[in-house]
Amino acid sequence: MAKVNEKKGAVNPVEKLAEAPVEFVREGSQFLSKCKKPDMKEYTKIIKAVGIGFVAVGIIGYAIKLVHIPIRYLIV
Amino acid sequence: MAGFRLIDVVKPFLPILPEVEAPFEKVSFDDKLVYTIISALIYIFSQFPLAGVSKEETVVKDPIYFLRGVFGAEPKTLLEFGIFPVFSSGLILQLLAGLKLIKVNFKVQQDRELFQTLTKLVALLQYFILANIFIFSGYYGEDLSIVQIGLLNLQLVGAGFVVILMSEVIDKGFGFASGCMTINTVVIATNLVADTFGFSQIAVGSDGNKEAQGSIINLLQGLRSKHKTFFGGLLSAFNRDYLPNLNTTLIVLAIGASVCYLQSFRLELPIRSTKARGVSNVYPIRLLHVGGLSVAFSYILLFTIHIAAFVVIQLIGKNDPSSIVCKIFGHYESVSNLFYTPTFPLSLLTPPKSLFSGLLQQPLTFFVYTAFMLVTGIWFADVWQGMSGSSARDLALQFKEQDITLTGRREQGVAKELEKVIPVASTTGAALLAILAIVGEFLGLKGKGAGMVVGVATGFSLLELISIDYQQSGGQSALAQVLGAPGRF
Amino acid sequence: MSTTATPPGGQRTLQKRRQAQNAKDKQLKQTPASSRQAGHGGSSSSILKIYTDEANGLRVDPLVVLFLAVGFIFSVVALHVIAKVTGKIF
Repeated sequence: MAKVNEKKGAVNPVEKLAEAPVEFVREGSQFLSKCKKPDMKEYTKIIKAVGIGFVAVGIIGYAIKLVHIPIRYLIV
Repeated sequence: MAGFRLIDVVKPFLPILPEVEAPFEKVSFDDKLVYTIISALIYIFSQFPLAGVSKEETVVKDPIYFLRGVFGAEPKTLLEFGIFPVFSSGLILQLLAGLKLIKVNFKVQQDRELFQTLTKLVALLQYFILANIFIFSGYYGEDLSIVQIGLLNLQLVGAGFVVILMSEVIDKGFGFASGCMTINTVVIATNLVADTFGFSQIAVGSDGNKEAQGSIINLLQGLRSKHKTFFGGLLSAFNRDYLPNLNTTLIVLAIGASVCYLQSFRLELPIRSTKARGVSNVYPIRLLHVGGLSVAFSYILLFTIHIAAFVVIQLIGKNDPSSIVCKIFGHYESVSNLFYTPTFPLSLLTPPKSLFSGLLQQPLTFFVYTAFMLVTGIWFADVWQGMSGSSARDLALQFKEQDITLTGRREQGVAKELEKVIPVASTTGAALLAILAIVGEFLGLKGKGAGMVVGVATGFSLLELISIDYQQSGGQSALAQVLGAPGRF
Repeated sequence: MSTTATPPGGQRTLQKRRQAQNAKDKQLKQTPASSRQAGHGGSSSSILKIYTDEANGLRVDPLVVLFLAVGFIFSVVALHVIAKVTGKIF
């Protein structure tokens, strides 16, 4: 944090504002290129796990929502 | 620490606010699972229609329709505002405390307790204020009697109270990780299933035709139904805009898959033990270091802005285009008798109903909305990573305690090296998630895209904690034995 | 870490270093920004935890909360039924 502030003091604030996004994108893409990305096998495994989890939880939740239908029908 | 402190205000409320007991001993994995699921199911079950709402069509429509998907809020039910007050009070107050705008000394037990009670009180207050804004705007009907107003208040604030306590039960250690996030994720998953496979029939149009809520079920029905041709059914399955269609389902699934992909991006820092020689490993720094919280934060701000605008336009300006207030702040137009879309100044922060109508009618929205999401998301990620207790400095301390260090670094250099990585990871991750949410919203998902981003990203964060829990105590889990799974996590 | 006339190292430099270190530590420890930073659980980078400390208040059991929640919903159901039976009085 301190480093950033020092830089801010040195350069004209307007220039700094224009530079910030460029700097941000540069740092971000640098980080991304250094990142380890999932390979196909890992990715399918993740998708499967998340998919099963999401759908299982969703179905349980939806079952509860279905209980509402007869109740609504009776009272409204 | 002299002077006025906000947290001292809550002292008189301490004895009357209910407080869930912390567990005496460690709660077993199975019990946690049961508590979590039951709490979430009760939450879903409370999406129950309000009693005392006038039956006639009201003039005032739903102004926050595109924010509901993120906070599990259902219109005209007990959970009109979903989990928003709980989520926002927690996040915003912790952020303010981290920025030192609220004076809290987290080292002192009493301060922490007061801060927590303050959070609870603010959440309750938000439920109360939001409920009355909606009641007096005429959203539940014009000319409500005193009894009706009282009953509506009782139901809306009561439901809020219940939600606060349920999320507290989970937070206190009876359930997994965080109450509001767990409940939110379950609701988002439920909505996804309902939008895809939901077979409840909803009356559509004036001629009494009924269509299924779920897009896939609707496709099957449309292909076989009598009042539609084969191609008509197919077209309507992809294009209907009153209920989820196949396009939106596909986009939502694509967004979910993209979040999964981004989630597994990580920078692996080589570490080694300082005690044992030759023991080396890697420590992953995730791209999504702050998870779905950054998008949730942007949406909390959006929600607040839109509610404030609703107060100004509807309560003060009466939504009359000729009044001065509405000339400045714009007014609402009701769309297909379901919701309100705001006009000019406010429309800049409202995602378009569909890509084409957006391009034609509100092209500026694309820039303003994108800028808003990116700036708030990145700012939040930057602040939050520094204050939430997993910043570079905290991690360096943890490393020291566990006698590990980065390979090729002295112990003193660890914090510096992490400082180079973690803020960049957090902000970049937040920006990418914001972009995903923006793309979804611009394609006309009405909050489902952002909801999916928050849901999946949060789901991952939770899954991580749950799997740690499972590994620690899952050996005795009766449930795991019944399921015959040694651990899919 | 420049020393003037005195040779590098020695008592004074050590003392100074220690003082600086202490001051730094103190500053870091005095104002944790969150309850987790203070070492008491709470929100982490990707998880928002709100209610983690046990404050003095009206202690309730978690099961009581869940039953209360269900009871609340059923009271709303009852309200619907009353409204239907008596005809829109509210």
